[in-house]
Amino acid sequence: MIAEFGHFALITAFILSLAQSVLPLFGAARRNIPMMLVAPAAAISVTLAVILSFSALVWGFITSDFSLALVANHSHSTKPMIYKISGTWGNHEGSLLLWILILVIYGGLLALGGRAMPIALKARILAIQGMVSASFMAFSLFTSNPFQRLSTIPLDGKGLNPILQDPGLAIHPPMLYLGYVGLSMAFAFAVAALITGEVDRMWAKWLRPWVIAAWCALTCGIALGSWWAYYELGWGGWWFWDPVENASLMPWLAATALLHSAIVVEKRGQLKSWTVLLAIMAFSLSLVGTFIVRSGLLTSVHSFASDPARGVFVLIILLFAVGIPLALYAWRGPQLFTTADFTLTSREGALIANNMLLIVATAIVLLGTFYPLGLEMLTGARITVGPPYFDATFNPVMALLMMIMAIGPVMAWRHGRTTRLRPVMICAIVGGAIACLALLSFEVGFGIGPLVALGLIGWLSASIGADIWLQLRPTKSADFSAKLKRLPRDVIGMWVAHFGIVIFMLGAVGDSLFNSEQVVRATPGDVIKIADRNVTFTGIQQVQGPNYQAIAAQLEYRDEAGNLFAVLTPEKRIYSAEQQTTTEAAIRPTMRGDDYAVLGDGDAQIGYALRLYYKPLISWIWGGAAFMAVGGLIAIFGRQRIIRHQNVAITGLAASDSHMTAASLSKGGKG
Amino acid sequence: MSKLRLSFLLPLLAFAVLALFGAIALYSTLSGSRDPAQLPSVLVGKPAPQTTLQRLRQRDQNNDNSVTLTEFRGQPLLVNFFASWCAPCRAEAPALEMISKDITIFGIAYKDRSEDTAEFLQQFGNPFQAVGMDIDGRNGIRWGVYGVPETYLLDRNGVVVLRHAGPITRGIIENTIMPALEDLGS
Repeated sequence: MIAEFGHFALITAFILSLAQSVLPLFGAARRNIPMMLVAPAAAISVTLAVILSFSALVWGFITSDFSLALVANHSHSTKPMIYKISGTWGNHEGSLLLWILILVIYGGLLALGGRAMPIALKARILAIQGMVSASFMAFSLFTSNPFQRLSTIPLDGKGLNPILQDPGLAIHPPMLYLGYVGLSMAFAFAVAALITGEVDRMWAKWLRPWVIAAWCALTCGIALGSWWAYYELGWGGWWFWDPVENASLMPWLAATALLHSAIVVEKRGQLKSWTVLLAIMAFSLSLVGTFIVRSGLLTSVHSFASDPARGVFVLIILLFAVGIPLALYAWRGPQLFTTADFTLTSREGALIANNMLLIVATAIVLLGTFYPLGLEMLTGARITVGPPYFDATFNPVMALLMMIMAIGPVMAWRHGRTTRLRPVMICAIVGGAIACLALLSFEVGFGIGPLVALGLIGWLSASIGADIWLQLRPTKSADFSAKLKRLPRDVIGMWVAHFGIVIFMLGAVGDSLFNSEQVVRATPGDVIKIADRNVTFTGIQQVQGPNYQAIAAQLEYRDEAGNLFAVLTPEKRIYSAEQQTTTEAAIRPTMRGDDYAVLGDGDAQIGYALRLYYKPLISWIWGGAAFMAVGGLIAIFGRQRIIRHQNVAITGLAASDSHMTAASLSKGGKG
Repeated sequence: MSKLRLSFLLPLLAFAVLALFGAIALYSTLSGSRDPAQLPSVLVGKPAPQTTLQRLRQRDQNNDNSVTLTEFRGQPLLVNFFASWCAPCRAEAPALEMISKDITIFGIAYKDRSEDTAEFLQQFGNPFQAVGMDIDGRNGIRWGVYGVPETYLLDRNGVVVLRHAGPITRGIIENTIMPALEDLGS
């Protein structure tokens, strides 16, 4: 009964979101206020209906209702509760419903908030949101109904793919979707702007928190996915340039470009058409990501639920969602064109360089991901594009980006020169040189790549440090805390996020330079030497888990002096319900580096295959990502505080310029 | 102004081209003319991965309970991944029986239980010199096996010469495997 109720709620939500996508657009065109007010009312109702629908599905999983096809196929009564719940989105139908849920929650949040926004703009944005939700609800209802019942009820479920039974993966998809779907807000803003052909600075000001929020979630989602691959797949790597990873990286790169270009629109009213295009591109790329993962067009370690027939539906959504806005862009875009009123060596110039590099990087990833597919269709040849291509193309672009990242923030708008520029540059050069010298002192024979990477770490961290010092150093007129209080929050957010890049780079460089690996076949009693530790393999134990059986190797880690500092127990698990084996790497993460052990095949006679790694600094990779996300959050909440103080009347009907001046006055010339 | 207009049209055109490609790729995947899983084996021309497996207990039993690929060095070898649970493997059994007169075949039972494998061999014939049990499929991963049945031809030094995904048929033996085997002989 509850499942039918959930199904009914989803159908209701679908019909409501059709109303949400049509009526407000008419209302906005005819300046009919009641019709425009349908938008927030419908958006909130849709949100409630989808929450009910999703809860009904979660309830089915919690209570192990095997009369539901989805539950029977993807859950099992012996599964721990957390994986029963996460099983809801561990499959195509459920994850689609989660996608819809997040989509409508974003819409609902905009409907509840955004009081300062002109009512027509808000109505249009919500209408576009409604269209996106309606298409995905149609996708769910017509091709992948999560509430399908079975005529014969099985005694127990088939279980969740064991590789997905993992805490990291329980929160990875929701995070990633929060990011992907968050970009739909940027998309709705862009399309709404294209309908009227008007983009102003307030538009960018309202847009930016959504972009930053989506970007934070995407950063966390990608980092969680990479962390999961690192400890679950047991290869010791953290990024594989796999099509599905690339699919999440592309929207991230585009969103990064977008959140920077939106700054230029907000502060200077320039780059309008470009920003609109970026917003469309960012969301399109996240739809492309969905398309790849769901259609099974490209083979990947991550595609668990692929079916070409679903690909058709996503492709149709993609055609409409990208084709129509781009057609609008071709029509309205020239109206948004502004002539540049700044020199190249200015803040705008640096941000444009940032955008260019990020777009080139996106194109590189796009090409590397789809080139094999295109080539195959043209010539029939099958190739795979791997890390060598990306190392040779993506990394240099990112290196250039890091160069600019150090200088851009200390440049002034329009003309470029600030008093901070020279000292920050000097610090950056000195920092880079010290880092390079430090590397050279380690050992000769490191290539140019690590030298550049470390130089950039020094360059960027020194410049951030210098900038912080110059802006916050106590002077006669103001002490540290007074200066900190006066500083816009987004500047602090930027420092934190940029510093996150430094931390991330340290992790990546540390791992690639000083990583040590040992693959051995060992019998109990063997001692394996790795890095500066001696590892004793003391034996194998049987382990009984809640829904699996496992053998676990006992590995005693001793330092050079012979002191035992850790016991690692990598496991091989056999999940009885699913008839699958997984390897559970044992990891001892520390700030200095991770000890990583994987148990392979073997038996008592021939010995067990063991793979041991020591990975210096690798956890800094995810630490860096966390810093970036925190930086983003600081920027959002710093901005919210300012926006809340603006009580701009709802006057957006007449002209967008009237409220813009009011708002920018109350903004008090910030920036 | 017209030049400006044109530049705003570019994203749409680029997208149209990309979407066309996507549609064609999807169409050919759906119509079955393209199978994303069928990649050429990267192993061709390279030594076969080291493979040591638990031996399936059989009639000509010796006491050694593991079997290594290197045991078969010095002669061309066919390595066949199969499983009792796979229907095409039953279909290819007669063809394997036929070719077993010309070449040694090493069978690898992929993700299978020994009892089931033994029963399968009893029922459909045993063309294999030896059968190794790849119970968890780890060796299959090392070989890049996409699904059973899959067959690899190795030369006398253990280098992979040929890979065939899907069941072996008389036609494949005559047109693909035998010619490759003759090339190895000369």
